[in-house]
Amino acid sequence: MLEILISLLALAVGAGFIGAISGLGGGVFIVPALVIFAHMPMQVAIGASLISVVATSAGASVAFVRDGWTNLRVAMVLECATVTGAVIGAYLAGVVPTIVLELLFAAMMLQSAYFTITKKGDDILTKGDPLAEWLGLGGEVPDETGKLVHYEVTKIPQGGALMVVAGLMSGLLGIGSGALKVMAMDYIMHVPLKVSSATSNFMIGVTAGAGALVFLARGDVATTIAAPVAIGVTVGALAGSRVLAHLKVESLRIVFVIILLLIAAEMGWRAMSGI
Amino acid sequence: MAKQEEDRILRVWTPILLRTILITAMIVLVTGLVLTYTYAPGYYVERYNAVHEGHLIGKETLGALSERMREGNPHAILTIGLFVLTLVPLARVAFCFLLFIRERDYTYVAFTAYVLAGLIVGVLVGSAG
Repeated sequence: MLEILISLLALAVGAGFIGAISGLGGGVFIVPALVIFAHMPMQVAIGASLISVVATSAGASVAFVRDGWTNLRVAMVLECATVTGAVIGAYLAGVVPTIVLELLFAAMMLQSAYFTITKKGDDILTKGDPLAEWLGLGGEVPDETGKLVHYEVTKIPQGGALMVVAGLMSGLLGIGSGALKVMAMDYIMHVPLKVSSATSNFMIGVTAGAGALVFLARGDVATTIAAPVAIGVTVGALAGSRVLAHLKVESLRIVFVIILLLIAAEMGWRAMSGI
Repeated sequence: MAKQEEDRILRVWTPILLRTILITAMIVLVTGLVLTYTYAPGYYVERYNAVHEGHLIGKETLGALSERMREGNPHAILTIGLFVLTLVPLARVAFCFLLFIRERDYTYVAFTAYVLAGLIVGVLVGSAG
């Protein structure tokens, strides 16, 4: 039993660590780690990963909340979309064939790679659209000089539609879909990157939590795997966030992109060859 | 309520809420693993191998959990630890729900209620299979 525990813990610590320093979260790496290295069935990896995503999001949230850039109102409006998607996704994960899950996973890895390459600066709006202003979604964020600037938000229906997709993918694939959430908020709704990242972290926990509850209630979480993985990912993520401050993440960006592309290729190959 | 007051409440209470549940879940999970290793390592390996072969999907229901608790099987502690972990998002949303009620911001009470209901529907959908 000890060998099994040590290997699961090692895989999970590694996945949590890379997830934290890349900013992509543990889920993106834990599913491939379990499927490729531990030879687990895809559905088992997804169940274990959903629980781990809840744990890492909670761990990272403490720092995000302390900084104070989480936009609670944007989170709540968009969570209506992600939770709906996540419950439907987690339900479908029980009936969709593995080949579809592998192909979707490969697609999400490509989207994360694209986001990692194209992450851009802020385009702050001083005037939002009427719906966003009625909902009071604006907030304040520091600019390069540290001065607080007011930002407004726009295009909630478009952002919300992408959030339903993010939720679906989260429930189906056991990932947090952080890259998709930040893209929807930053690129479409003009929420500043700092606020998008913090808000996305809060949302990831709730979205993955919704998916995890479906899996747990259905009895589809293999406790034997999920328990050590949840512990390992949390430890790895905490270590990653400690190291993050001393790392030049910019220079590592290309490494993350290569890892994501390799995972996409492996998942695509598995789907094609029927593994 | 002023925005600053809302921020202050969140900054003080969210870390306490998060840390308490996260640490509790980790203690329960580690205790479960230590007890499983001490008293039921064979059972753990047997289940691991079954999962590895793809046989155990859909077998860890709430009914199975209560049966294991009656048997005094330490495996049940691990399942409880995982359930405690999923309380983190539930507790955060519930906390926001109370905050918006206190602010009498009924638009956001409605949004938050929808999210909470979604989490509960998740349990019902899962239980129904």
